[in-house]
Amino acid sequence: MPDFAPFFVSGLATAATYVLAAVGIVVLYRASGVVNFAQGAVGALAAFVSWAIVQHGGPDVVGWIAGILVAVALSLFYGRVLAPRLAYGDPVMRAVATLSFALILLGFIDYIWGEAPRKLRLPTDTSGFEWLGVRITYTRAVAFGIAATATVAIMTFLARSRLGLQMRALANNRDLSAMLGVRVLRADAYAWVISGVLAGVSGILLADLQRLSGIALTFAVIPAIAAAVIGRFASLPATVAGGLVIGVCEALLTPVPLIGPFRTAVPFLFAVIALLWMQRRATYVYR
Amino acid sequence: MSEQTLAPAGALRVNPTWIVGVLVALAALYELPDLLQDYWLRTFNSVVALAICSLSASLLFAQLGMVSLAQYGLLGVGGWFALRISHGLGVPFEIALLAGGVAAAIVGLIVGLPALRMRGLYLAIITLMMAGAIQVLISAFGFPDGGAGILGKSDTTRQMMARPFVADSDSAYFRYSLVVLALCYALVQAHIRSRPGRAWAMIRRGEVCAIACGVDIVAYKVWAFTLAGFLAGIAGGLLAGGVGQLDGSAFPASQSIMVFALTIVGGAYSWFGPIAAGLLLRAFPALLNDFHVDGNIATMVFGAGLLHALITAPQGVAGQIAGAGASLRKLVGGGKAAA
Repeated sequence: MPDFAPFFVSGLATAATYVLAAVGIVVLYRASGVVNFAQGAVGALAAFVSWAIVQHGGPDVVGWIAGILVAVALSLFYGRVLAPRLAYGDPVMRAVATLSFALILLGFIDYIWGEAPRKLRLPTDTSGFEWLGVRITYTRAVAFGIAATATVAIMTFLARSRLGLQMRALANNRDLSAMLGVRVLRADAYAWVISGVLAGVSGILLADLQRLSGIALTFAVIPAIAAAVIGRFASLPATVAGGLVIGVCEALLTPVPLIGPFRTAVPFLFAVIALLWMQRRATYVYR
Repeated sequence: MSEQTLAPAGALRVNPTWIVGVLVALAALYELPDLLQDYWLRTFNSVVALAICSLSASLLFAQLGMVSLAQYGLLGVGGWFALRISHGLGVPFEIALLAGGVAAAIVGLIVGLPALRMRGLYLAIITLMMAGAIQVLISAFGFPDGGAGILGKSDTTRQMMARPFVADSDSAYFRYSLVVLALCYALVQAHIRSRPGRAWAMIRRGEVCAIACGVDIVAYKVWAFTLAGFLAGIAGGLLAGGVGQLDGSAFPASQSIMVFALTIVGGAYSWFGPIAAGLLLRAFPALLNDFHVDGNIATMVFGAGLLHALITAPQGVAGQIAGAGASLRKLVGGGKAAA
């Protein structure tokens, strides 16, 4: 029987980054109706920008802030400039368009920085504390703390603030909300900003916890999408639970013989089961 | 949907431009392989295989409006079984190819089952998840290369897949691949022009109408997925035969996305679209390589091309070629892409 405690702890931290990205995806989908496959790529660029700044002797804090700002700028650019041109296409085409944005970003990252094995170092990596008999670096604790804070903050924001109310109205019915005086584009833009911030933070944390690689970070969007699927792109608590379960299961399978090599299939398995369960009754579209 | 009319049934009408097109194609088939260098010949062998794979994605997209992001994964499945059977039983290439096709068709059927209840976004997501799962399996198992055991992995020497005895050289294999490509197109056309094509047209106009007209939508949707899986499997076998072996690390989910993306860029509604997609997927990066341009530029260009195609040109490259004028239309053989 292998010792699962270290894997559990590291899984929680990875799961926290999935949760951050997934919450961004759900908030954005609710407000603007776009499933953002580029969430991972935006996070990857944020991580590379902060890595490059630190590498050239810049202070860490400047690096992180610059990375997150780049993520927000990209997200807002896509949301304000490109997404509206597809606003009346069907949801699949809007999602596929974000895939193309992800391809552009991925190509750009690999062109500039290449796929050399490297890691983003955070100053919180070197110190830590003991819990469950396992040493936990502060990065892991911080990742978990940020995910918890961000989720609670966003849930409160959606439930209490006026803008949150408008976003929920948009999620229910875009045309009716516009008629009632909701400034659709403004609420949309805020949703893209929130998703950009979450993508940046989760990208930087994941680049530290795993590795700084364009492809790996871009496709970290898949567990996040799987978590969002579990939350039906609507429920934040279910999304958070989904992200945590996926991240922890993936990590816990690492030391198990035979199944270990297949642990990266965990998100797919959860998403497929969730999809099948959700769609267990046949429905027909009336057009 | 460009083709709102039902495809005409019955006998093929003989069109003079068709005859010219067929003659040009035959001449090209005879001359082209001898004109190409070794490197380009191998590249074009891959182009043909990828064109078949893209044909399978465009079949689902153009006929039923379904987005499948798993077709390159299914190509891997077909390649795996073709290699396994070729190495294990030593059967002729054609049988290995068909076995790969059938295996991928079965997997395609399994992918297609959830499609009965899903549409649009969730279908795209579930096929992406399937592509990811296939990637995990392939990178864990690797491709058979003549070893013993169920997996057929050998640790020492990597054997090459046996090619068809009529097409052992690269140039003969290229001609062979083109014939297989033509057969795949014929298979798809035979479907579109007969009962399944009419049923698919009905389903994409409205599922409720289709049911009211007595179309068994479950059977025809499953059939479309199975056929698409079969084509992807054939493509996998053809690719395995062309290269000799397949690399387990070459089947990431990103490639599956790329196949779909370039099917749209190439033009899913036209017969030329899948060929354009094959050329973009394999020949374009090779061309960039020739000029010592970074291959990541290709990824960026593909992304921008897809975005452009989605926003402004839903008919893709093929649609733009078809729209360029009657003279050009004659050149591509009376392309069906209605502008």
